[in-house]
Amino acid sequence: MNEHELSIQRFLDHDLSPEERVAFLHAVDANPTLRRQWLNLEMVIAEAAQLPRITPSARFFTELKAKVAPPALSWWERMYAAVTTPRTLEWNLAGVAAAACVAIVSMTGVLTLMPERVVEVPVAIVPAQTIAVGTTQQPTVFVRLVLLQPVAQSVSVAGDFNGWDPTQTKLERSDGGVWTATIPLKPGRYQYMFVIDGKQWIADPLAAEETTDGFGAQNAVLDVAI
Amino acid sequence: MPPEQQLGLDDAQLVARSLKQDHEAFGQLIDRHASVIVNLAYRMVGNHAEAEDLAQEAFLTAFKALSTFRADSKFSTWLYRIAANKCKDWLRAKRPGQGPYDVDADETLDSHVAELRTPECLLSQQQVAHELEQAIHRLPPLYREAFVLKHIEGMSYEEMEQILSVNGDTLKMRVYKGRLQLSRELASLNPSH
Repeated sequence: MNEHELSIQRFLDHDLSPEERVAFLHAVDANPTLRRQWLNLEMVIAEAAQLPRITPSARFFTELKAKVAPPALSWWERMYAAVTTPRTLEWNLAGVAAAACVAIVSMTGVLTLMPERVVEVPVAIVPAQTIAVGTTQQPTVFVRLVLLQPVAQSVSVAGDFNGWDPTQTKLERSDGGVWTATIPLKPGRYQYMFVIDGKQWIADPLAAEETTDGFGAQNAVLDVAI
Repeated sequence: MPPEQQLGLDDAQLVARSLKQDHEAFGQLIDRHASVIVNLAYRMVGNHAEAEDLAQEAFLTAFKALSTFRADSKFSTWLYRIAANKCKDWLRAKRPGQGPYDVDADETLDSHVAELRTPECLLSQQQVAHELEQAIHRLPPLYREAFVLKHIEGMSYEEMEQILSVNGDTLKMRVYKGRLQLSRELASLNPSH
């Protein structure tokens, strides 16, 4: 590279000091050959800066972004990720207060709307049902007595198992006029009657067996066995 | 974060989000740098489809190696370096039908072209652009790479040093030789001068 070429290069790369630039321009003015060389190079630079730029195609962006996108997960993988991904609960006092209000209102609503007891649907009414509970001594059988009396105000049961005392074992009313009681009994044979409103004695209409009470009425018979 | 909110993030923030599996963030980096990468590749290999393939490879390489990117340098510098290396790899190994190419050879200039011609005298602007495109593609790859980054992408020598890992004086010499060869080639198109 001769001196002229070096001057042109430094001029094009803006490496000349102000004084050197002035000296270079004087030299260009005085030397047509140098001027031609310089202009040719300036022309290349100017033309290069104007070359049309190509635009990446839509396919380029679509394909590339698909390649860097995370792979599609199956529903099972999404479910697994949803339940196993660690989460951080961000909170503040206002949020906590709001959550507490919601919880209190919800609990109040539940307690208000909740029925006092579970309603038993009188669909299949069967005679006394028994559930045996084994013990190391003598087993106890839980016997469920059921009576359909929609208009009764109270129903109790009196029998061998409670000394025929109509005040001891009361049945509870469920919707539909079904009265039930569950009593623990030892295995054996018992007679009993229902007492309606404390005065009307009737035998269990669903009892599997009845027997005379010796006074012209019929007692229901309950056989309790394991 | 929705893409419209990511538009205001700088490259470093988008890289950080990409590392947290935010693939939309890397999409923003693609949108931001695709044009430069594709144009650089196009100037280097001279074919639009090949240029897009190489640009895709560069982005995918960057994406896979993102965890190794050191935040003390610019993402664009790192990405352009990857792209430049992809182009040189392609020129070394895949030049279609022309066999391997000694990319690293500091080739001598074509001494047969005329020096003192006026390149633009008989050529229209469009013809000059076309001839210049062709002449750039005939430059030795190292000169081509330096010339493209300097005079087409408008980078400073400092940026070029970081991208190409070559010292500034060497780059200035490559750019100068590239300019000189292009000037001579264009001048040769007008034999009347």
